[in-house]
Parts: sequence; C-alpha cells; structure tokens
Amino acid sequence: MSDAVDDTEAEGASGFATAQAVLGYVVRQLVDDPDAVSIELDDRGRRPVLNVHVGPGDMGRVIGKRGRVAQSIRTVVRAAAARDGGDVEVEFLD
Amino acid sequence: MEWVEITGRTVEEAMEAALDQLGVDNDDAEFEVLEEPKQGLFGRVRGQARVRARIRPTVPRPKVERRDRRRRNGGNKANQNPTDAPTSVPGPAVEAAAVNDTTDTTDTEGTPSSTGSRPRRRSGKGKPSEQGDSKVSDNDVDLEAHTAIVNEFLIGLVDAFGVDARVETELLDDETAEVRVDGTDLGVLVGPKGNTLNAIQELSRTVVHRRVPGTAAGRVRLDVAGYRQRRRDALERFTRSVADEVRASGVQKALEPMNPADRKVVHDTVNELDGVSTISEGEEPRRRVVIVPA
Repeated sequence: MSDAVDDTEAEGASGFATAQAVLGYVVRQLVDDPDAVSIELDDRGRRPVLNVHVGPGDMGRVIGKRGRVAQSIRTVVRAAAARDGGDVEVEFLD
Repeated sequence: MEWVEITGRTVEEAMEAALDQLGVDNDDAEFEVLEEPKQGLFGRVRGQARVRARIRPTVPRPKVERRDRRRRNGGNKANQNPTDAPTSVPGPAVEAAAVNDTTDTTDTEGTPSSTGSRPRRRSGKGKPSEQGDSKVSDNDVDLEAHTAIVNEFLIGLVDAFGVDARVETELLDDETAEVRVDGTDLGVLVGPKGNTLNAIQELSRTVVHRRVPGTAAGRVRLDVAGYRQRRRDALERFTRSVADEVRASGVQKALEPMNPADRKVVHDTVNELDGVSTISEGEEPRRRVVIVPA
C-alpha cells in the first residue's frame, strides 16, 4: 500500500508493485503450474506492459473461452495499476 | 404458458413486440389478435391493440423445444418434419447470444450435463417441494465448497491489492451464498459500473471451476462495499411495483432483459408475493422475466 503513496517518480519507479502483485496472484490461482508463472514489466513503450509468462498448456486457462478470463484479468490488474498511479497493458505469453 | 400477451399502440406494433419477446421470426410465431385499438375522436387512437402470440408449435412447445434442441445433435427429433423451421432458427440465435454474453450463461446450451442440473424455477403446478429437496442435498456440498474457495481467493486478492478490507461469507438460502468484501476505500474493487467487481466475480467463478471441475458454478455471489446490495434493493422495489400492477390489472408484464443474477432477484421477490408469479422467456442475453397473474 505504501508503494502507491511513495511518489518516487510516478509509475516507473513504483514498478507497478500492486498491479504485479495482483496479476501474479490471480494468474497463479488459475494455472496448473504456478511455478512456471513469471511477470516482467516492459516500460520502454509508450504505455507500460506487464508480460506474463505461463507454463506450456496453461495459456488456455488464462485466456479462457473467447478471451473472457484474459479480459477479466486485464480489468482487475488495471484497477490495481490505478493504485500504483498509472495504467498498464497485460500481455500473455507462453 | 406458451402464449404471451402483448399490447401495443397498433396491432403491428404489438406483434412486433411479441416476436421480440418470443425471440423468433415471424414465420415461427402464431398470432391471435385479441383486441384492435379503437378509433377515437379526430382519428386519435384510444385503447390498445392486444395480441396473443406463441411460437408455432409444429415441433415442440417452447420448453420441450429447448430440450429437443440439445438432443438434436443425436439427430433423433430433427427429421420428423423436413420443413421444420423452428428447430433451425433458434440455433444461430443461441450462438450469437453466447458470444455477446457477459455473465454466466456458458452452460445454457453448450454442456448438456450442467444444463440439466440447473435448477428449474417454474412456479405453478409442478411439485416444488420435491424438486426442492433433491436440489438442496446436491447443492449443499457444492455450495459450501464453492463458497470456501471464493472466500479464500478474495482474501488473497484483497491482500495483493493492499486494501484494508475484511471478507465474510453468508449462506443466504439453500442455493445461494454471498461473499462480501467490506472496508474503506474499496471503490477500486468495484470500478465504473461495477466493471471491476464483475471481473473479480468472473475470476472467482473460474477459480471455482478449476478447483472443482464439472460442478455447476455461479451460486456464490460476490459483493464489495454493499454495491450489489444497493442495486438489488432498487430492483426489488421496482419488481414489487410491477407486480402490484400485474395483480391489479390481471395482465402479465414482461420486464426488460436482464442477466441471470438480476433475474433471480426478480423471481425471488415475486415468489414472496401473493397473486403473481414469474416465468422466463427468450434466450441469453435477451432472456427476460415475465410477471404473470397467478
């Protein structure tokens, strides 16, 4: 929580701690292989991106039918990112 | 209850509305004009057109039809009548419905097993007590397990968000539990129009499905900071006022399409009232409740 308040240079510095925590938590709840989940922040682009890697075979779980799960994850993670003072994209990779 | 009765300013309008409500094409519906609008002074229309309509019962009656469609892949029923429009028309509509859908309707047509286990809420002549009993014993175990999973998921989520909140669960009745998140500054978990809350609910459901595959999910409700409660209260008030109207006029009234959770609120509210009951019509996402005189 205190991360969000520390205004050390807006989003970049906070590293989207809340968004990353929420994203990691949610994804690990959904996959078969939580240990294979990793998240990295890519803030080189215009808009920062959280890249999520999941184990082979777990892609379907985080995407869901017609992308519904992925969409829900994005919604929740962006709510979390707002607490970090910014906005992020979420990309799923395997 | 396969007939629906609709009023409109003109017969055409009423028929149009009836088609909407039945969710079928003109070709698949059968009409009866009960009352034409009367011409008043200066050509003004007084009174309303009233029509009765139903899905043309060449094949089955609506409720039977739904089951038949599910069996259709087996090919046992579809061929009894080669010019059998009704069986072919609902198919695409259902698929379209599923695509647009934002709530928990994936099991409506896709998986026969879960559809079969979905509790039927038909008021009227059935044997509610009997249905009720078997339903309860099945669901009890599931419901408790599901609630525990959602509860745990939310505790972790709230923690990841770093918000100061507590999570509590309550069994509302034999088939519904609610998990509530309360605390301060929880707007972040609700979001505009409840978007974030809905997303969290969707994720909760997914987690439940993953942990206990094959069970019917969706009876665990989720609320944050009383958001759903406030909406529910408003919907209950609205439902009661419509029910009063229906009771007074003796004419059934269809509500606008709602998601399953909201429909349940309407069903439950009306169930507690005398002189009215409910039915559901149409396919997702345009499924709607009709309040009928009992």
